[in-house]
Amino acid sequence: MGRWILAGMIIVSIVMSRSPVLSMEKRKLEMKEIAPLEAEGYRQEGQDEFYDRQTAFRYMDGAAELYRSYGFKLLMVRRYLKTNHPPMVLELFDMGSSEEAFGIFSYQTEEEEVGIGQASDYGGGLLRFWKGRFYVHLYAEKESPSTKRDLLTLGEVISKRMPKEGAKPKLIQCLPREGLSERTIRYFHLHPILNHHYFISHENLLRLNERTDAVLATYRWKQEKTFLLLIQYSDSKEARRAFSRFKKAYLPEAGSSNTIQIENGKWVAVRLYQTYLLIVLDSPSREDGEALIETTYGYLKRREGWLNKRR
Amino acid sequence: MAEQKTITRRDFLRKTAYGALGLTFSSSLHKEKESGAEEKARVILVRDEGAIDSKGRINPEVVQQMLDRGVCELIGEKDPVEAWRGLIRPDDRVGIKSNVWYPLPTPEELESAIVKRVMDVGVPKKNIGIDDRGVLNNPIFKSATALINVRPLRTHHWSGIGGCIKNYIMFVSMPWLYHGNACSPLGSIWGKAIVKGKTRLNILSLLRTQFYNRGPHHFDRRFVSEYRGLLIGKDPVALDAVGARLLQLQRIAYFGEDRALDNPPTHIFVADETYKLGVSDLRRIEVVKLGWMEDSLI
Repeated sequence: MGRWILAGMIIVSIVMSRSPVLSMEKRKLEMKEIAPLEAEGYRQEGQDEFYDRQTAFRYMDGAAELYRSYGFKLLMVRRYLKTNHPPMVLELFDMGSSEEAFGIFSYQTEEEEVGIGQASDYGGGLLRFWKGRFYVHLYAEKESPSTKRDLLTLGEVISKRMPKEGAKPKLIQCLPREGLSERTIRYFHLHPILNHHYFISHENLLRLNERTDAVLATYRWKQEKTFLLLIQYSDSKEARRAFSRFKKAYLPEAGSSNTIQIENGKWVAVRLYQTYLLIVLDSPSREDGEALIETTYGYLKRREGWLNKRR
Repeated sequence: MAEQKTITRRDFLRKTAYGALGLTFSSSLHKEKESGAEEKARVILVRDEGAIDSKGRINPEVVQQMLDRGVCELIGEKDPVEAWRGLIRPDDRVGIKSNVWYPLPTPEELESAIVKRVMDVGVPKKNIGIDDRGVLNNPIFKSATALINVRPLRTHHWSGIGGCIKNYIMFVSMPWLYHGNACSPLGSIWGKAIVKGKTRLNILSLLRTQFYNRGPHHFDRRFVSEYRGLLIGKDPVALDAVGARLLQLQRIAYFGEDRALDNPPTHIFVADETYKLGVSDLRRIEVVKLGWMEDSLI
């Protein structure tokens, strides 16, 4: 079984390589350019460390799985020191594309937006932000009164040295805006990541894989949270299989209906449209769930040509 | 072979008020064990307010006393050395499987307390090894006849919690192969020759616990509790089940609600049901409490 898993991981590595081919040396040089040698009295300490998809486990153990589930290419780790200040650690990730950088950033956004990069999140001595195809994880090893200011200053310097901004995943453009909580938009490919945000099943009912793009968004109506899951499959056959599997395992009593009320009194609605699967979870009413599905369907239909350009 | 039931969120909604965590420790979706048909697992919780001083330093003498109290209670001996004789023989080669994760490693004071008692039993120092990431290449561990498993209790991104079961992941050469499905295959590692049947004692250090974290490889001091305890037992599954419950209660105490873990600690339940490593059902675990119990939560 181990061999199959290994083979799967190699396939993931290949498929995730959607960005133009850049040599590792070029990536390293660019990352070294982005990270300043000195800023606000902080100076680089020691040698930079680099880790790729295969070696990232040496640096962060199993946490590497998360980055590998996106298009992660290379990680550069640099330490900064300043007298009488706690050391800082910069982890600069080349995620291969701006979509993947957004994806890894979107994995966790529950702290303060501090206006760095294309979006940021600061809390507890940890600054995270993304810009272009880069994702930044910058933290202080201890907290001091100046920690936040220092981290934000260094983060701002790094952000300005990044060459350009990048686009978010196209699927996000198909999310209805009314009631949408922007900071809760999650973009991902694999089933464990969906389960992290919204547990559906231990089994991969939705047949998520490295070739699927998925967005989970939270809507708030009258203090109630409703989730919209929008998945794009590689082809319509795969989407149809996922639709059938989901209905059979998650909505077994639904029959021909695509909207049902479940144990918590909330409603689940599902719709298949070509290569897309649309699922509304925890809707307060049948009408709200079906309306959200219908609006999303409308957006998909109108933007279909544009959405399919990538594939 | 019977078809395995697909467990979904809806099963959780039907069965338990504790959500995913509650389900993890409930056997209600699986074959229910007959009440009283299996004996209870026993774990010892020892706490001492003096384990950490006002400057955050761990007191080695207090830790030694806590370890001694816990092991004596577990084995049913009054004298700590006699109690350890019930675990270790003088001719054993003893591997102490520690944890070096830099923000919250196994405290050196606890490692030293264990080494002291192992030596008191008569094991020469040259036959004792302490290691984490290097166990596969460590000669003591490669030829160990006895293992002591000791690590801090914390939340973990992929496995829900980092506890006793998870601590043996370094005994395999490709740990990432065990990360699927919230690390549920972790229990299988305990059946590998290098560890099978060798673990004499499991200790979860609760001196400091990390009860919540945001994403992988992240440590946040806001979510670390100075609980000042040790959880000691022979059953790694029971220790982890109690540990997971403690972390849940700490989250509730801190946030006022049970914030979901990145992944539910499914591997504890699977270690019980599939790999028969021990008891995950809290109803079948006896927690013996010793010492200072202010805000013990359990």
